[in-house]
Amino acid sequence: MLKRLTMAGVLTLALGAGAVSAEPAKVMIPANPGGGWDGAGRHTMAAFAQSKVFTDGASFTNKGGAAGTIGLAEFVRTAKGDDNALLVTGVIMVGGVITNKTPVSLADTTPLLRLTNEYNAIAVPANSPIKTPQDFVAALKADPGALSVGGGSAGGADHVMLALLAKHAGAPVAKINFVSFSGGEILAALGGGKIKAAISGASEFRQFAESGRIRIIAVSGPTRVDGINAPTLKEAGIPVEIGNWRGFVGAPGMSDAAKKTWLDRFAKLHATPAWKETLKSQGWEDAYLPGDAFNAFLKEENANWTSALKEVGILK
Amino acid sequence: MDILNQLIGGFAVALQPINLFWAFVGCALGTAVGVLPGIGPALTIALLMPVTAQVNPASAFIMFAGILYGALYGGSTTSILLNTPGESGSVMTALEGNRMARTGRGAAALATAAIGSFVAGTVGTLALTFLAPAIAELAFVFGPEDYFALMVLSFTSVAVVMGRSLLRGFASLFFGLALGTIGIDTQTGQTRMVFGMLELLDGISFTVVLVSLFAIGETLYVASRHSSAPAAINPLSGGHWMTRQDWVRSWKPWLRGSVIGFPIGALPAGGTEIPTFLSYALERRLSKHPEEFGQGAIEGVAGPEAANNAAAAGILVPLLTLGLPSTATAAVLLAAFQNYGLQPGPMLFATNPDLLWGLIASLYIGNLILLVLNLPLVGIWVRLLLIPRQYIYGGIVVFALVGVWGLSTSWVDLALMCGLGLIGYIARVYDFPIAPVLIGLILGPQAEIQLRRALAVSQDDWSVLVGTPISASLLGIAALVLILPPLLAYRRRRAELRSAEPVSAN
Amino acid sequence: MSGAEQARRPEPRRRPWWLGLALAVMGALWLNGARGIASTTNYIGLGPAAIVLAVGLGLTILGVLLMLQALRGEFGTVDDEAEAPPSRRAFLFALAGVAVPLLTMQSLGFPVTAMLAFALVTHGFGSRRTILDLAIGFVLGSAAWFGFSGLGISLGGFLPLIG
Repeated sequence: MLKRLTMAGVLTLALGAGAVSAEPAKVMIPANPGGGWDGAGRHTMAAFAQSKVFTDGASFTNKGGAAGTIGLAEFVRTAKGDDNALLVTGVIMVGGVITNKTPVSLADTTPLLRLTNEYNAIAVPANSPIKTPQDFVAALKADPGALSVGGGSAGGADHVMLALLAKHAGAPVAKINFVSFSGGEILAALGGGKIKAAISGASEFRQFAESGRIRIIAVSGPTRVDGINAPTLKEAGIPVEIGNWRGFVGAPGMSDAAKKTWLDRFAKLHATPAWKETLKSQGWEDAYLPGDAFNAFLKEENANWTSALKEVGILK
Repeated sequence: MDILNQLIGGFAVALQPINLFWAFVGCALGTAVGVLPGIGPALTIALLMPVTAQVNPASAFIMFAGILYGALYGGSTTSILLNTPGESGSVMTALEGNRMARTGRGAAALATAAIGSFVAGTVGTLALTFLAPAIAELAFVFGPEDYFALMVLSFTSVAVVMGRSLLRGFASLFFGLALGTIGIDTQTGQTRMVFGMLELLDGISFTVVLVSLFAIGETLYVASRHSSAPAAINPLSGGHWMTRQDWVRSWKPWLRGSVIGFPIGALPAGGTEIPTFLSYALERRLSKHPEEFGQGAIEGVAGPEAANNAAAAGILVPLLTLGLPSTATAAVLLAAFQNYGLQPGPMLFATNPDLLWGLIASLYIGNLILLVLNLPLVGIWVRLLLIPRQYIYGGIVVFALVGVWGLSTSWVDLALMCGLGLIGYIARVYDFPIAPVLIGLILGPQAEIQLRRALAVSQDDWSVLVGTPISASLLGIAALVLILPPLLAYRRRRAELRSAEPVSAN
Repeated sequence: MSGAEQARRPEPRRRPWWLGLALAVMGALWLNGARGIASTTNYIGLGPAAIVLAVGLGLTILGVLLMLQALRGEFGTVDDEAEAPPSRRAFLFALAGVAVPLLTMQSLGFPVTAMLAFALVTHGFGSRRTILDLAIGFVLGSAAWFGFSGLGISLGGFLPLIG
């Protein structure tokens, strides 16, 4: 207890740049510098400063690993009761907590809000006979093994999305042929026709679709994505919606007053042009969902992911 | 002609004083980052991104390019002088380079590394300028089975770094392979060999292994063996500079390293390490002085150093022409483009020619700056060895701590550093080679994942592994590399027996 | 594990059978680990356990071979670079310098840890100007700490305990 308080004190002293009354936010980023969560944390705080909504500054701690659950555990351990401590979170952490069976979960924090979302898309090589989401689902049903589908890590959002699609198609989920790729390899494999289809973030596919190497056949959000000429799965009659959302939670035991302060600040930020500009430059969809609605959303996500991960055989 | 005109336009951008300034800053920063163990170009660029938000994009990318190239120049310095590679692409450089330094030829090793980097960087940049669109198509040709074959071929390079005992060499290789299995299996999401520790789920960080086995192991070894004796190496004996013979022996490896490095760097799953393995193995086979390998053969420095710089130019090919990031550094650069609202790819050449051609032109200039910056530094770096040893090695341990702790402020990483450092020490004492550990750690997981991807797509049909011309020929070369040398040795021995006269080998 | 054995034998050049044993034990660990990995592969004959099994097997065999070699006295390493006989004291001080962060990094913070590590290593190398070494170590550590925090990376608290 004493150790934590003094550490906070020194951090403030070291970084507070003079002003005694300033209380900078202490932002824990559960990933290494350079990734999506890192960007979410730093760009959001930069937008706070730029829009003058919150100008006390921020210090960042990167603690990456194990789908963000190492950062989560560290946050719960060290930030308890700290009204200025925030943790960047997202759907990957929800999945990580379930698959890694960690002793701490998001329920141990003070959930604040969901802020952004990046939707997935299904893409196929340009000359593929699969033209529509219905074709994709039909191919999945006909022979799930023959339809090799690339995506990110097994157990991630891409994998879970394929599982949900297979479930909708009535195909055995345990039989889907999901092939994990990292980084840009998936685009090369898809463009070269090495795999039959791929599921990944819509913005990643965009450029290749524009140059005609691949075709995007569906996006996974509630609405179409600007600049991508593909229907949503919902439009095609497939009730699957999944996205790589990100947001913030507060420290365990954050006071109600502090929680309200932060939610007010985020509400103000959400209305500023600076934030709109950040969303645009980062390619994020606005997915503002504060307070109790976010709590309910988290519960729902948790249940969906648990069942999906069980069906694909990752969770025993 | 069109390309030339655009390149000239690019030089007009890159030669603006403000951009020259940023190129210089990037090169200096990159060199520094390359020297420090555990801090790589990816991390540096990621950290500088917010700082550069106010700078105009052309200047920012010119600086980033300087960091990318500079890190590879700097990475060789500590490899050669202290046997502590700062980047994974410099591991092979340490093998011969450090031997050279120990025999007082450190300056020649540093010089061949710097000039080789310049030659390869320039060749790579030329190829990037004129061949990029064609080379980029390689990305779509290579499938999982082809990558698997490339990994198998790279594994054959381990044969030449086995050291004096095959048994100990294989023990090192398997130790590296074992470390590579730790963590979540991305294909199935199953955890492997994590012993219940969350920190191990993402595998053991390559940086930690590199820093521990080399820097920490070396420190412990030198402490235990040399502390009471005066410094044995006089880094300045044997001349400052490359001799005529050094030049003669270096220029071919520079060019060969460039030719190997560039296309492999341009592959989405290529990277900078594999070309250095292949180049080292090739130089050892082609060398007229094979007996010098392991004792400080200059070809073994010239080739790999050229290969890693050419690969760095190669990395820019899929990034700029297709928007495909192939390494961690490229992924960060892609994020940097997107931060400015730019999407690399063919469209960007049309919409922002000034930026892209300015960037490409700056690569030529950056290479020159790095050469000018590094050649005079050679003398200074070598004199660094005159610092009392306790401060050199104390400093190495502090910088290793920065690199390892700075990764993710994880206690487990510190424990690994201590444990692996001790293993590195034991390896030194009992003459186990270290390079095979890193080859196993880098190639093992990649070979496994490409093999399993190929088999997943083919639904467990093993014939796909030789199903493409590329994979079949790469595997064929791998087989030749393994079979041919013993076969030739056997024939030579028989010929010797028959004629009872020594054949003029070598 | 091998570290303890290492420390007990100041002159371990002769028959390092324990090296082979350590490798074989590691192999056994990997073989045992392979059993615990579920083979959830749909279309690949090669599951996540295959490589672990192969590596475990390789390590075990190599370990046994190394052990036999050592026991037969054929290990034959020549330490041709040793300029001085190994000094256990110097080694232990350097090792302490590498190990001290395990104890102090989280409680005393980076600069103090760097200071201790630097001083222990330099002491191992025979430096006796301990105060100067501590000062240099602290300056190096603080410089690294401030450099990183300036770039937006936290190396933990500066002085977590003393505040």
